[in-house]
Amino acid sequence: MSTTAAPAPGASRGDLARLERHWGETPSVRSWLTTVDHKRIGRRYLVTAGLFFALAGLSALAMRTQLARPEAGMLSPEEYNQLFTMHGTTMIFLFATPMLFGFGNVLVPLMIGSRDMAFPKLNALGYWVFLFSGLFMWASLPFGAAPNNGWFAYVPLSDEQHNPGLHMDVYSLGLLFLGVATTAGSINFIVTALKLRAPGMSLNRVPLFVWAIVATGFMVIFALPALNVDNAMLFLDRRFGTHFFDPEAGGNVLLWQHLFWIFGHPDVYIIVMPALGIVSAVLPAFTRRGVVGYPLVVLAIVSISIISFGVWVHHMFATGLPQLSYSFFSAASTIITIPSGIQIFAWLATMMLGRLVLRVPLLFVIGFIVTFVLGGLTGAMFALTAFDQQVTDSYFVVAHFHYVLIGGAVFPMLAGIYFWLPKITGRMYHEGLGRWAFWLVFVGMHVTFFPMHLYGLFGMPRRVYTYRSEAGWDGWNLVSTVGSYVLALGLLLVLVGVVHAIRRGRPAPPDPWGGDTLDWSTDSPPKPYNFPVLPRVRSLHPNWDGPSRESMATGAEPDRVLADGRRTLRTSELDGRRERAVEMPEPSFQPLVLALAMLTFFTALLLAWYPVAAGAAATVAVTLAVWLWPPRRPDTEVGVSA
Amino acid sequence: MSTHPDPRARLAGGLLFWYAVLGGAIAWALHLLTGWGIDELACAAGSEAVGPVPLRTALSATVVLPALATVGALLAATLLWRRTTHVVTDGEDRPVGRSRLLALVGIWSNLLFLTIIVLGGIALLVLPPCQR
Amino acid sequence: MSGSMTAATGTEALTTEMPVGRSTGWWGMVMFVATEATLFACLLGSYFYLRFQYGPTWPPPGITEPTLLRPLVMTAVLLPSSLPVIWAEHGIRRGERWRLRAGLATTLVLGATFLALQASEYTEKLREFTMTTNAYGSLFYVITGFHGLHVLIGLTMISWLLAASLRGGSFGSHRHDRVRNVAIYWHFVDVVWAAILFTIYLSPRL
Repeated sequence: MSTTAAPAPGASRGDLARLERHWGETPSVRSWLTTVDHKRIGRRYLVTAGLFFALAGLSALAMRTQLARPEAGMLSPEEYNQLFTMHGTTMIFLFATPMLFGFGNVLVPLMIGSRDMAFPKLNALGYWVFLFSGLFMWASLPFGAAPNNGWFAYVPLSDEQHNPGLHMDVYSLGLLFLGVATTAGSINFIVTALKLRAPGMSLNRVPLFVWAIVATGFMVIFALPALNVDNAMLFLDRRFGTHFFDPEAGGNVLLWQHLFWIFGHPDVYIIVMPALGIVSAVLPAFTRRGVVGYPLVVLAIVSISIISFGVWVHHMFATGLPQLSYSFFSAASTIITIPSGIQIFAWLATMMLGRLVLRVPLLFVIGFIVTFVLGGLTGAMFALTAFDQQVTDSYFVVAHFHYVLIGGAVFPMLAGIYFWLPKITGRMYHEGLGRWAFWLVFVGMHVTFFPMHLYGLFGMPRRVYTYRSEAGWDGWNLVSTVGSYVLALGLLLVLVGVVHAIRRGRPAPPDPWGGDTLDWSTDSPPKPYNFPVLPRVRSLHPNWDGPSRESMATGAEPDRVLADGRRTLRTSELDGRRERAVEMPEPSFQPLVLALAMLTFFTALLLAWYPVAAGAAATVAVTLAVWLWPPRRPDTEVGVSA
Repeated sequence: MSTHPDPRARLAGGLLFWYAVLGGAIAWALHLLTGWGIDELACAAGSEAVGPVPLRTALSATVVLPALATVGALLAATLLWRRTTHVVTDGEDRPVGRSRLLALVGIWSNLLFLTIIVLGGIALLVLPPCQR
Repeated sequence: MSGSMTAATGTEALTTEMPVGRSTGWWGMVMFVATEATLFACLLGSYFYLRFQYGPTWPPPGITEPTLLRPLVMTAVLLPSSLPVIWAEHGIRRGERWRLRAGLATTLVLGATFLALQASEYTEKLREFTMTTNAYGSLFYVITGFHGLHVLIGLTMISWLLAASLRGGSFGSHRHDRVRNVAIYWHFVDVVWAAILFTIYLSPRL
């Protein structure tokens, strides 16, 4: 449990020089465009997702400013529609998931003791596609053509007849484009965690954060196709005159809702699950003990990710199913609260039994628990159908899901930012600044969103661009607006803290917190090859146990140094037994080229330049063919008999 | 301790392992899909029977069979737990820790899924199949 | 029997590691196929959803029930096309390059025949209804067209393998990951066709 400097290097000076030669990247435009290093890509994910967070946050501020007083004229209804749609769509798709994928990208290889992700080039592709799809969607706003139908884009309001123009084409194509990045990232996480764990890291020694990311990956793989099919149908309906959602020609508008919520309910967990993983990663360092009930938390992660697929119908209570088949779903909806509860109680027990170290990351974790539990409470209230029907589409709902998402995702992310900032940048943050940021964010959040419960109950509908004074909502709305500015100020302080740390922070030791996972047993920031000696893991808390740490120092073996080439270790799926060393790919332009070709493809589809789209599709195929083309080897090496 | 089992016994053991861990989850998924599908389609078609079988009987089958399969998985998980209880972990080569973790996950998750299926069964006892 | 039972439930057997020893590429392809399969499941699920919401006459009035002869021929062409791939893969595992080339070439021919048959199916159907006629037309063309696109992608992958194997120095008994991955994809495309045959062509007759 030491908080001292790096373990004595177990690799020789010559090994280190060779590792540096094979993995090192000199800063240049070329290396910036071609890098496949998971840490650089992860950092970009974090920064880019932060940028989209700022854009969506500014949209929210604009809306709150408009709503500060009745009958304000700052925004037109059309502008307001586009702003709230972009706010929701961005927060869900372009901020929450990519931000958590950014954490996953930086941390998964470090936590499992690997030198990179399983598919580094695919990882780079995922980032570029995420960036381009986000720009694709936001670029529509200056043209007044941004999506304007709310983030769940219900038909018939989103079909061509009721919503002409490019708005919803941007939505459907943008999300299809982004889906490529999300799917690629998820597959990458799963395969990395299955095959590249350090030797000795059997499944019972996998950090909870990695479990959470893998569960998220599986949910994405099985949930996202529903959204993709949905959006493809919407685009075909709008552009090419198919009739999937057109009741006059045999289609059905409810099809959209079914497919959307088959994706949408697991998506709640897709967003929250990795954030809960961050909580499980932060707690051990600040309670000085492992999370209580590791097997039960694993159980919770696994069972939530499975059961989340069996509850979607509860979003569609009013659609006229037989009550019996509804009760099959509601049984699942009821039971899924048990594993969620297990996690909360595991963290509470950890804090109770441990010795608390009240630093900024822990403050955010506590803020998370308070806020998230309040969001869960209002969630349980919706289970009363009579109540649900009263408050549906009112500000009460807005209050509820902001408590869940800010509580369940943003607070853990902020905890994660402060927690891993030393690891990622190699610099410590300013504690006082961090505390100010926490209190401003915490207070601002509750002042903004708590009154929404009230004026939701008083009848204010969501998504209205203004309201009349007679309704008596003025005062509470003003409180919310003031709160939103406090919240924004707090978030700005977070940004100031990060910039301050990078420019002025004191250098961070490898393990400033006394963390338990492998990311704390290497340099801050880690070398391009992560670990001079790949560890031999002997417990669930490798950084707290002597033999695991020793395996990277005095216990180094040449077959875990692998300095002759760009190599890392492949191990077996369940027990983490060493299989063999594998070659990792070099930096390449291919991911960028492929992403650009896809961007061209989707832009051409949007603007109906179909020949260009066909050309772009061909470019995609050719790039992939070159990317995967096998290197030529002598016959003896490939093993040919004739 | 047992001697080294032959490959077929290993295959059977490996499959039994996964049945113990995921059996309940798969049984629940089948229960949900068949139960919901049969109820929905039969009622939409306006009939209280699936072919020659009365609807309620068919629905009972979609509850009872998965429930039994889950109980089986629960037993398998318990067996796995017991079989890994008194194993001496001599060094790092015995992969017992992983099996023990997943045995525990299996026991609890099978209990969860059994509860869900049983709750669905109770609904079947109380509600007429096509009541809207 | 009881002996093998005991062995299978012994600690050794129960703690057998399985799956084990797969490559990263294999897992990547399996996960990709899993997500693609979900995509098709959603499409076919949408078909049944719209069908059962529509009412008793399906296909809608004005469209005749799909005939079975050509789809069955297409099935007879596509499903067996997995066999040469399996044969080719087994060949290259033993280092027999000619089997790889011959097997891939055979599959290529079968797959191309399937696409040609689908084209003739379309020319006939298009005279009767199009994608914009009604929801049935939309479902028919989007589902079969999406599958046809997958066949085309699969064929591109197989041509790509064939080109690489003709160059030499690409595959052998130690290097056949790419062959196996393409094979997995091709088997998937085949199996999906069986589901589509059932949904589009057989289920309206039930």
